Amino acid sequence: MNLRSTFAATTAATAMLAGAAFAGEHGGTMRIGITQNNVGVDSYQTTYEQAFIAAAEENENVETVVLDAGGDVARQIAQMEDLIQQDVDAIIIWPTNGEAVIPAVRKAAQADIPVIVTNSNIAEQGFDFVASFSGPDNITQGARSAEIMCDKFKEEGIEGEARVVQISGQPGYTTAIERAKGFEDRLPEVCPDVTLVETQPGDWNREKSQQVMEAFLVKYDDIDGVYAGDDNMGVGALNAAKAAGRDGIIFVGATNFAVGYEAMAAGDYWGSIYQSPVDDAEAALQTAIDILNGEEVPFLNYFDTPKITQDNMDEFSKPVF
Amino acid sequence: MATLSKQKIGSVLAKQGILIAFAVFIVAFTLANNKFLTVDNVFSVVRSSAILGVMALGVTFVVISGNLDLSVGSMMSFSTIVVLDLHDKIGPFLAIPAMFAMTLCLGAFIGILVGYLRLNSLIVTLGMLSAIHGLTLTYSGGQNMDIADKEGTWFSVFGQGTALGIPVPILIFALLAAVLGLMLSRTPFGRKVYAVGGNGTAATFSGIRRARTVFMCYILSAFCVATAGLIQASRSLGSQNTVGQGLELEVLAAVILGGASLMGGSGTIFKTVIGVLILGFIQNGLLLLGLQFYVQYVVTWVIIILAVWLDIAAKRGRLWSPIA
Repeated sequence: MNLRSTFAATTAATAMLAGAAFAGEHGGTMRIGITQNNVGVDSYQTTYEQAFIAAAEENENVETVVLDAGGDVARQIAQMEDLIQQDVDAIIIWPTNGEAVIPAVRKAAQADIPVIVTNSNIAEQGFDFVASFSGPDNITQGARSAEIMCDKFKEEGIEGEARVVQISGQPGYTTAIERAKGFEDRLPEVCPDVTLVETQPGDWNREKSQQVMEAFLVKYDDIDGVYAGDDNMGVGALNAAKAAGRDGIIFVGATNFAVGYEAMAAGDYWGSIYQSPVDDAEAALQTAIDILNGEEVPFLNYFDTPKITQDNMDEFSKPVF
Repeated sequence: MATLSKQKIGSVLAKQGILIAFAVFIVAFTLANNKFLTVDNVFSVVRSSAILGVMALGVTFVVISGNLDLSVGSMMSFSTIVVLDLHDKIGPFLAIPAMFAMTLCLGAFIGILVGYLRLNSLIVTLGMLSAIHGLTLTYSGGQNMDIADKEGTWFSVFGQGTALGIPVPILIFALLAAVLGLMLSRTPFGRKVYAVGGNGTAATFSGIRRARTVFMCYILSAFCVATAGLIQASRSLGSQNTVGQGLELEVLAAVILGGASLMGGSGTIFKTVIGVLILGFIQNGLLLLGLQFYVQYVVTWVIIILAVWLDIAAKRGRLWSPIA
């Protein structure tokens, strides 16, 4: 056992003790604070907040303090300090920045308040101060997208020659990096003869992705598949292909958005990864509750994000975002 | 004789430094990638530059009048979200004028603050950048906005249509550039804009209503932003709340690249168009070269600074500043 894991274990143990002691004192009502990244900037985060509040209201043992950092690191750090001052029992944080929030997270851990990171993890050097991470496994998501694409190539019998381009998320964002890595590592394992010809960022932006795809279409006469880091960008790329009259390209995304779902229903878009902000929010709250109840929670507490394609989309309801 | 023609060439070069820079980039990229100068690619670049370009036309007026407009990015997000939302609620025929009216109100508000109250335009529009973003989010509730029936609406014509074989966004951009170019160079209003930006006090004493001129510049800018929002909305028939985020700096870069002075009083619509095209072709060219994208950020700005340098060097006839 190295120093880091010893420290992590101690932190977790203290948190559990604190939680157990607390549950005894107050007859089970837990006060959980959350500081979110940027509610309202996209539909995912908006839906997440609504689902979180709804889930907390359903549970009578839980009281919540819901805050939003508006994408501002300084404000999030101040909110962390407020929550520590208010002496909440646990803090859930959706980091605005994986590095900059670490000191605030450490402060909470030192005040014996367990911190649960939700949706996107903080940087590794802060792991010691985190009780658990609750969120999607983006590497698996990237890998699953690669499998969806490869399966489709095999169905069409072009797995020996297909050429793929990738439109990734914003450079430097953990989610973008992990999805790209998952995809790039898995694709040659399942479809060794498929070539990934180029990767360019679409910055999570549909318009930017459309421009990138327009350039790809000019540059490459033969594109069989497009992997986009989320459906927003995937649909941007699809728009570009449609405008250029290029048919038969297989589009696979991640984080199934309503537009992606509709494009799948229309038969233009092949598949994606179903990631529900409702599951995300409920998983974060449940993780916090479990920790406060002294239960054993894995450090990386992923919720499942299944594959969705035109073939099985009936099993999923259309995303609300 | 030799000196004369040298001077002549010098003065021609001085006026067209940015055009020379443009030509240099085009030749360089064409040599590097044979797909760069194809009709398809040129259309695709100009079409996607049209949104930025239309916004830059309006901002040119504001900059020449000696002010700044940093709110155009979030104002464009606002227009896009509003027109998409209203499209499904009241139909495109009413949605478009309603969106224009709402965007012009924002422009009028900024125009009053900067023109009539004489507040610093940097502060006002920086504040409006954030305020309008908040307004957009409040309006949409943070949700993405999408048109329900994407196949069955004629609304897509502004962003995706073609007329006479030319994409409609390019036509809108060209038409607006022609009209605003004439307005700036051939009408009394245009001369007032230069006068106000060149020397506001002198303009006031010569009977120009400075406040009204500045106000009109912001109205024009808002009109251009609304047009850009229309193209954007029509191009993708759906949008995030942050669609225009960061565009204000690219717009400003294009305008300054075109040679408009941040101090006001100089600049032309034609050169702004060149500035827009340079930005568009750089981004496209680097993509076609397949440069790693981390490098692209750096190279883009190196090229922009090179272009500005070439422009200034041509104007003063030497590479280095004589008084450095």
